[in-house]
Amino acid sequence: MKDEFYPYRKCIKFIKIIVFVRNKVGMWRLSVVRHKARSDKSHLEEFKFKRREQERVLRQARRDKQLVSKRLMQEDDEEDDDDGAMDTAADVLSKEQVTELFRRVQHSGEERVNHLRTLRKALRSPDTQLIFIKLENSMQALVGLLSGSNAHCQLEAAHCLFLLSHSPNPATGLACLPATPYLLTYLCGQSDKFTALCLYTLGNLCAESEAVREKLLAQGIVPALTSCLQRHNLAVVEAAGFTLSQLLQTKDAAANIVPPVLASGLTLHLLAGLQPAPDYGMGAAIECAWCLHYLVCSTADSETLSALGAVSKCSSLLITLGGAVASGNTEEGVELLVWPLLRALGNLLSGCRSEGLQGQLRDSRLLPALCVLAQAFLKPHPALARESLWVLNNLTAGPSVFCSAVLFLNLVPALIQLLPFSKGINCMVLQVLGNVAYLGKEYCTQLSRAGLLPALCATLKMADPEVVTLSLEVLAMMLTHSSEVAEEFTKLMGLPLLEAIQYNSQGEMRLRASYILDHYLTAHSQLKVDTPAL
Amino acid sequence: MLQPELLRLLIQTDSVDTDILAVPVLQVDTRPKESNLEKLSRVCGDDGIDETSSPLTFMPQQIRLNKDHEMFEDGDIHRHLYLQDVATTTPEVSETPTVSAFRCHIAGCSQLFDTLEGYEHHYSALHRHVCSGCRRSFPSDRLLDIHILEWHDSFFQIMAEKQSMYQCLVEGCDLKFKTSKERRNHLIKTHRYPPDFRFDRSKKTKSRTESKAPQKSEGSMEVSVATLPAVSGPDAGESMEFCASGETERDSQSGAGPVQEEQPKPRYSHKVPHTICFGQGSTRGFRGRRKRK
Repeated sequence: MKDEFYPYRKCIKFIKIIVFVRNKVGMWRLSVVRHKARSDKSHLEEFKFKRREQERVLRQARRDKQLVSKRLMQEDDEEDDDDGAMDTAADVLSKEQVTELFRRVQHSGEERVNHLRTLRKALRSPDTQLIFIKLENSMQALVGLLSGSNAHCQLEAAHCLFLLSHSPNPATGLACLPATPYLLTYLCGQSDKFTALCLYTLGNLCAESEAVREKLLAQGIVPALTSCLQRHNLAVVEAAGFTLSQLLQTKDAAANIVPPVLASGLTLHLLAGLQPAPDYGMGAAIECAWCLHYLVCSTADSETLSALGAVSKCSSLLITLGGAVASGNTEEGVELLVWPLLRALGNLLSGCRSEGLQGQLRDSRLLPALCVLAQAFLKPHPALARESLWVLNNLTAGPSVFCSAVLFLNLVPALIQLLPFSKGINCMVLQVLGNVAYLGKEYCTQLSRAGLLPALCATLKMADPEVVTLSLEVLAMMLTHSSEVAEEFTKLMGLPLLEAIQYNSQGEMRLRASYILDHYLTAHSQLKVDTPAL
Repeated sequence: MLQPELLRLLIQTDSVDTDILAVPVLQVDTRPKESNLEKLSRVCGDDGIDETSSPLTFMPQQIRLNKDHEMFEDGDIHRHLYLQDVATTTPEVSETPTVSAFRCHIAGCSQLFDTLEGYEHHYSALHRHVCSGCRRSFPSDRLLDIHILEWHDSFFQIMAEKQSMYQCLVEGCDLKFKTSKERRNHLIKTHRYPPDFRFDRSKKTKSRTESKAPQKSEGSMEVSVATLPAVSGPDAGESMEFCASGETERDSQSGAGPVQEEQPKPRYSHKVPHTICFGQGSTRGFRGRRKRK
């Protein structure tokens, strides 16, 4: 009764599969459409400047807790006149022109679609957007076309609404609100492109205000997104993930949005989006991973998420990505996926009881993967390196098997290599090493065998008081457990270092250094007599 | 600075057991731990004046970071630069193959297309969720199911008198109502839907001759789409012809007037002839020709 033409549709799908030849297999690549400026060398400086400016604005927004972004979609079917359209967007239509255009759009007939298309191009300009929404009846007409029975007009109207939703002016976004029940209704439709368009429009509108989000929740955005996340088309999954992430990252999310999302069973489909296969679109995985990160952050109930397999999903994908990074099978953009995965995993680890995790963390390769990620992203994204070490800390602060694995897999040299780097990286490494040393004699012996003492001698000389304090802590644990360590440390000319620290202005460091000299190194310290504690 | 050894661990795993349980766990010996907690409090308390107390306070701890933690700043900025940096499209979408122009194969439609995508959208919008009884088209499965139930199921009216049968139109909401009016109130109140939601319809319309609705819906659509009187000309005529099944026309003439013009109307495909679903080739052909302009 519903669809007599299913076989025909199948046929079309089949044709599509044949036509689209896949990219190089096995490569993790994110297919984004680049800014024109990026490819154009002559504008590189200008582009860099713009980017820095953009970054500054974003950082300020984050401090003000106002960090929201809207997203633009590539206008695919306008390739031929794309340049022209971009230019015309620059010279804004006058109010009269917009009024005239709108009048034409209201006329039904063959030409209506073309007028709508012209309107859509004009609406790329924020000024035209403002003029348009202020015209009498304009939004009703647009919503009427969106819900109308002409498929062409419907698509063009949806594009117009999308452009309006992207406007930086809040008034424009609010004007789009009457369209939301229809946009949500169409999410259950079958046309992938149209669904994605509706999703991005909704995602942009979400960013507007709490009132908008409340309305969308009432209109059933959560179940609608749940069904979109289950679609086979990755562009739709990506769009749904984006919209959900827009909802989840808002200030009011923890109170209003996270509970219905968790109750809807949507998490399971988010996790399904985290496929450890390179040919599964990375764009979709990125959005799903960010949603997961926001969810984990805003709920105290890590156990439930973990029981759904969140920990094992994140860790297996991180292992795969670590392998891909190590063997060079990645391009720019993989960090966009690594970042949220690390965060979700790190916070899940800190929120779960260790018994619950045992079953999910069975693959020891997670530890080397974290080390590889820390090393590989050290230069381009030091903050990412630090976050992977943070996850390693949360692992090694848990069951002793992970500390044993650090030693068994010989990861200590890799960690030592990271000790010279600042921005919190060395502190995190010391924290991890401390976790290992804390477990006692056998662990400390192995640490010193792996060459930790010379490295500690270097960190003791650093200027950062936190690094020195942590180094002293680690050193003390090693000295407690083994007398050979004391000997070796003395041989490495460690004593003068500690004595120097005794004169430091920082009380924390002074105390620890004196204590170590007094309690662990008395036998070895000839100079001790001359240096009074404190 | 990547170490080949790490690479080996990650990649050549066929021969190695990667199970964490294969790792020999060293004996844990945290003797000083018991006293550590005490020390901690003592040290914090008196600034370490007590010579015997240890200032060493290291304890392994898992760190939970909240969403706005400063450590997350760089990653958040990176994410938002990506979001604002234009566009997203999966590989398949970036290359739109052009095919030689073809017409919609559904009899009575015959719209022209030159891309599969355009056709796909057209098909989904107009031909996918079509009621075979009255040829109305719906945007989703759920709305079609509800339509069929409420419009064409003869048991429905009887059942509806006994129990709540009118399902909420919103995906994910399982509530049912005694009358369509109640449902509309629910849609407006709970789901904040507009009173003139197009895919809802009043009970009156339904309980009378079904065929009345399409006519009115057409009217209301024109009202909402275009307020100018000049509008209706070709389009309205066209759609009237398209929706033309015998009954509909008869009814429309018999004055299905704009009684409830501002009311929400069902959407339907006015391009598909009434009788097509019975698979009569001749009917298709005939209807199809008639539709073409």
